[in-house]
Amino acid sequence: MSTVSMRRVVVTGMGAISPLGVGAEALWQGLREGRSAIGPLQHPDAGRLRVKIAAQVPASFDPTANIDERTLIMLDRTSEFALHAAREAVTQSGLDFSQGQTGARTAVVVGTGVGGETTQDEQSKRLYGENSQRAHPLSIVRVMTNASASQISIAYGLRGPTFAVASACASANHAIIQAAQMIRYGLADVAVTGGTEACLTYGALRAWEAMRVLADDTCRPFSINRRGLVLGEGAGIFVLESMEHAQARGAVILAELAGVGMTADATDIVMPSANGSSAAMSQALADAGLAPQDVDYINAHGTGTLANDVTESRAIRLAFGAHADRLAVSSTKSMHGHALGASGALELVAVVGALRDSVVPPTANLDQADPACDLDYVPNIAREMPVRAALSNSFAFGGLNAVLALKRAP
Amino acid sequence: MTDTTQQQVFDIIAKQAKIDVTTIKPESTLKDLGIASLEAIELIFDIEEHFNITFPDQQGANFDTDTTQSLVDAVQKALDEKAAAGEGSK
Repeated sequence: MSTVSMRRVVVTGMGAISPLGVGAEALWQGLREGRSAIGPLQHPDAGRLRVKIAAQVPASFDPTANIDERTLIMLDRTSEFALHAAREAVTQSGLDFSQGQTGARTAVVVGTGVGGETTQDEQSKRLYGENSQRAHPLSIVRVMTNASASQISIAYGLRGPTFAVASACASANHAIIQAAQMIRYGLADVAVTGGTEACLTYGALRAWEAMRVLADDTCRPFSINRRGLVLGEGAGIFVLESMEHAQARGAVILAELAGVGMTADATDIVMPSANGSSAAMSQALADAGLAPQDVDYINAHGTGTLANDVTESRAIRLAFGAHADRLAVSSTKSMHGHALGASGALELVAVVGALRDSVVPPTANLDQADPACDLDYVPNIAREMPVRAALSNSFAFGGLNAVLALKRAP
Repeated sequence: MTDTTQQQVFDIIAKQAKIDVTTIKPESTLKDLGIASLEAIELIFDIEEHFNITFPDQQGANFDTDTTQSLVDAVQKALDEKAAAGEGSK
């Protein structure tokens, strides 16, 4: 596939609401300090749940800040996260969407695993638990998976292609890829894109418990004493634009989104395959025009489950060959938890930070190396090193792989 | 109670794996019986529902490679703990 005719895509804004706080900088600072936001689960039903820990957006997040009352009543927590992260990203980009054709030429693509889970859970409780005859009249507009994308579109008058993307834990990366492709092929000049998730409800937590994949102490990716994944929540939203659009207006470019890779394992609904994920990484490299040795850092999917960590390590070897030994690989899920449909977006904040500041965030809680995971996982302490290019891996239940390749800002 | 704990557990496994219950041996692993990871989790759920017990999270345990005897033992342990906790057992 030739990439010659395609436009280059750059990142000019980013925003995040995460367990490490409000704002992309709060997230990035926490990650580079190796600070884990995993703590005791704060939930009204925590007493009767088996899951005891999570990575939750702190109570200091005020969803009402700068959002008018009429909009607020339309929002599930999922969309609250997304709207706040979008505002930060748009502000940083400096774009004025009311200028000329900018609003009409801007796409919105937001990934989410399940959409308005909090609303769904509340209404189910009313109907089945309390035998109420009535659901809240705004339930549908809060629950629908596209609510976040639509609310961002309405808030800024963005009238280009706008939709949601769902692929479980790869939703954010799949969404960002759709947005980038639309810019590359000229369907839009700008895109507001990322992922959002807020699904720490009683029902969802019970469902995760039943799968028996949750850790009870903390998230320890690539460490042999790992005990599973830790659920998180949050949103990461980015402004992407064509390089010429960004340069023409003198925008500050944070990084270049140079290549993308998407594959399906087509094997098992939950057990990952190294072939599928390595193929996605190889695609992303080829699409970005990168040789393996051009890459310095991989932000791993790194869930902290045995199935992921061993398979992902093998997949990186398959895709990178001998250069795998020279890569810095880290899982920031050890600090921000697994935010499912938002995870790729939170991790893109880490990747942009690494490219911009020449610092690789660590894998926290890695205190006992696993012989089956034989790469350099940057244990516990961030590393100052030049990062020319980086990959960001997201692999989902369902066997779905989405990989982003980023280069330092030109 | 007519059936032993073992008999009840084996019946549930046989139903899940769609095999004759007499082919299940205490030393068989779930994997031997053709029960893959996600089905093993579902089997655990069926057993919990049947006995009204909750297995503790066996961190690091791999249900695929557990023997049926270890499952029976785990059920018996959970039943004993439930009885000891005074919740009563039938």
